[in-house]
Amino acid sequence: MEGLSRDNSDRSQLTFGSVAGTANRGSPAVRRRRSIANWVVSPAPPGKAPTWKEPRSRAWLDCLQALGLVALVVLAGLAIAPRLAPTTLAMLYLLAVVIAALRWGLGPAVCSAFAGVIAFDLFLILPRLSPAVSDVSYLVPLLSMLAVALIVGALVSEAREHAKTARTNAEYVEAVYAIAQALAEADSQDRIVTAVARHAVETFGWPVLLAIPGKSGLEVQFRSPDFSFGEAEQAAADWACEHCEAVGRGAAKFPELRGRYLPLKTAWGVQGVLAVQPAKANPKRATHQYRLLEALATRAALALGRAALEQKAHEAQILQETDRLQKALLNSISHNLRTPLATVTGALRSLLEDAAILDESTRRELLTNAEEQATRLNRLVENLLDMTRLEAGAVRIKPEPCDIQDLVGAALDQLGEAARRRPILLNLPDRPLLVVVDFVLVTQVLVNLVDNAMKYSPAERPIEIRAAESDGSVQVEVIDHGEGIPEELLEKVFERFHRGRRNDQNGGAGLGLSICKGFVEAHGGRIWARRLSGGGASVAFTVPTGARAKLHREVGDDRTRAASTYN
Amino acid sequence: MIEQGLQVLTIDDERSIRHLLRSLLATHGYTVHEAESGQQAIEQVRIHRPDIIILDLGLPDIGGADVTRCLREWTATPIIVLSVRQDDSAKIEALDAGADDYLTKPFSPGELLARIRAAMRRTARLETGSVFRTGDLTVDLAARDVRVGERPVQLTPTEYELLKMFVSHAGRILTHSQLIREVWRGIHYEDALHILRVNVSNLRRKLEQDASRPRYITTDPGVGYRLRTEQAATAAPQ
Repeated sequence: MEGLSRDNSDRSQLTFGSVAGTANRGSPAVRRRRSIANWVVSPAPPGKAPTWKEPRSRAWLDCLQALGLVALVVLAGLAIAPRLAPTTLAMLYLLAVVIAALRWGLGPAVCSAFAGVIAFDLFLILPRLSPAVSDVSYLVPLLSMLAVALIVGALVSEAREHAKTARTNAEYVEAVYAIAQALAEADSQDRIVTAVARHAVETFGWPVLLAIPGKSGLEVQFRSPDFSFGEAEQAAADWACEHCEAVGRGAAKFPELRGRYLPLKTAWGVQGVLAVQPAKANPKRATHQYRLLEALATRAALALGRAALEQKAHEAQILQETDRLQKALLNSISHNLRTPLATVTGALRSLLEDAAILDESTRRELLTNAEEQATRLNRLVENLLDMTRLEAGAVRIKPEPCDIQDLVGAALDQLGEAARRRPILLNLPDRPLLVVVDFVLVTQVLVNLVDNAMKYSPAERPIEIRAAESDGSVQVEVIDHGEGIPEELLEKVFERFHRGRRNDQNGGAGLGLSICKGFVEAHGGRIWARRLSGGGASVAFTVPTGARAKLHREVGDDRTRAASTYN
Repeated sequence: MIEQGLQVLTIDDERSIRHLLRSLLATHGYTVHEAESGQQAIEQVRIHRPDIIILDLGLPDIGGADVTRCLREWTATPIIVLSVRQDDSAKIEALDAGADDYLTKPFSPGELLARIRAAMRRTARLETGSVFRTGDLTVDLAARDVRVGERPVQLTPTEYELLKMFVSHAGRILTHSQLIREVWRGIHYEDALHILRVNVSNLRRKLEQDASRPRYITTDPGVGYRLRTEQAATAAPQ
């Protein structure tokens, strides 16, 4: 019985984190499997691994069942004993050991082996009901029966353990693979949080909590509705994060809590805390699930760490980009502000100084030119302001139902005389078509697009504006019949300070299309340019109709809330 | 000109804008008073009792909406607000506080004069008979008759209510909330805005030659609608 209890204590002292804990007694095949698992999850270094104490397993119950089985065999043996030789009956006893080993493992098998031999001795060897063995010739088979029972029991139970481990490992590797797969697709912190939370909820079916250090301490990013979270839980999560130590149920710290709190640790710091509140579980199953939880934590930590590093790299890149942009901005501004200013100032000076020698038509021309350039200056300043607002994230969308025709009309009205002189073909639906957008911003998009179309196509060729509904959004397209945009610039034209399709004389600062892109994307829409086969360019964008816009607004309003109610 | 000798108070902290307004308005026969802060403006209104006030929204001491509110406590003098495009909300706040109209800088002189005339007409409108004409559009409020040229136009009761609202405020901006308050009392704002857009769209299809480039009912993006009068329509493109 000593062997049995040692076996038991072995199992109840499972080393959590040593990934192949149950494969300790493994054959080479199992060890190989273990090494794969190790490679997949890279467990914590030995010694530092947190130890989880789960409630004692029900091994004594298994032993009782094994003994019951022996008792059955004894009864059966007694019933048929008169007709068979005792040695044949010994095989029946061996069968009980094999069954016990298969069903309940090594401990119960050993238990039944001893019980079987004792029972054999008591009931089948004369004198009956006495441990004394009268005939020495029985002693040898009895002892060899014990030896065989023990060996068979051990072998069978080991085979069972192998099979079980292999199965668990297969499940485990599969689950870890699924985690890795889900995380590989997540590229931002938000998505990682969603992926980890979704996975934890699906895999374990337990309430899950995921918190990430923010500006003001640990911030809960995800919490299952049924995860009870109070001050004690907050304290445990904080401790786990601060001391990089697993706490909660079964650990040294906060053992009174229902949940387990695992720090998401990486070489470069704790990335957050993952917690579960396990339901009462079958301890063997729980062990398997805790292993998976550890693996999920490791994976999540790596993914979050990676995202944090990427974020930093991205910020550095933005800084660099900002620097480049500032230079471009200075160049652009100095050129684009000075040109119209020079025209205006020149015209005014000329009118002041040479008033006497200017004839009426020249004076008129100077004035018209100055007025045009001043208007251009105004548009440039407005674009710069829009750009600044976009960059500062200060663009607040005020979505309201707007009629497409109204938007187009307002844009043409804003373009004023220039748009009245141009042939403009409108291809709009003949009934009101409402989109839920910010009227001013979308009008501005249209103004910029039509303005571009007028700049980049000859004055006599018409400009087309089309709008049509498709699939929850409205697509608006502005078409010109000029030279078109070279294939390689189709995406670049939306970058800031990217100027023109040719070395243009049109005074674009390279802001218009990037502002359009900013405004359209702020609405959750898309904007793109294409070349027309017959020459000319088309820039199209989509804006949401009612339903989608509302959704977008809500998502934008409170992403954290949406995330935390996810289940 | 009918506005001969009318008194205008211009309130702007920028000297150049005050100068521009002075030369423009004086040329058209107005008597111009000036103020460069909200505080000064309130004093000037008490002293000169102007017929019309032109108020810049970006004053250094008091916000334009607050000046409007303050003035509206004791005077009904028409107020036209000057703003830049970026201050949509300040503009709407001032309009809701009781300002009569607004102009976005830079503005054309023709537009400013048209706005002044429209604002001045505000009180006079009621007495000038019940037939309104602009371009080809004739609205006879007494007979409930709407015509484009000689062609009578069938309007739904709501469209007619809306048009009536425009006609009785011809030339002036009507904000979305003003229209909704008058025409769709008691309907939830967002629903009403939806209905307003559809009705304006339908009204344009019935009245305008080209509903996409309306001549009569024009849109002020983000603010509201305006029924252009003949003078404004011809003065605007200057």
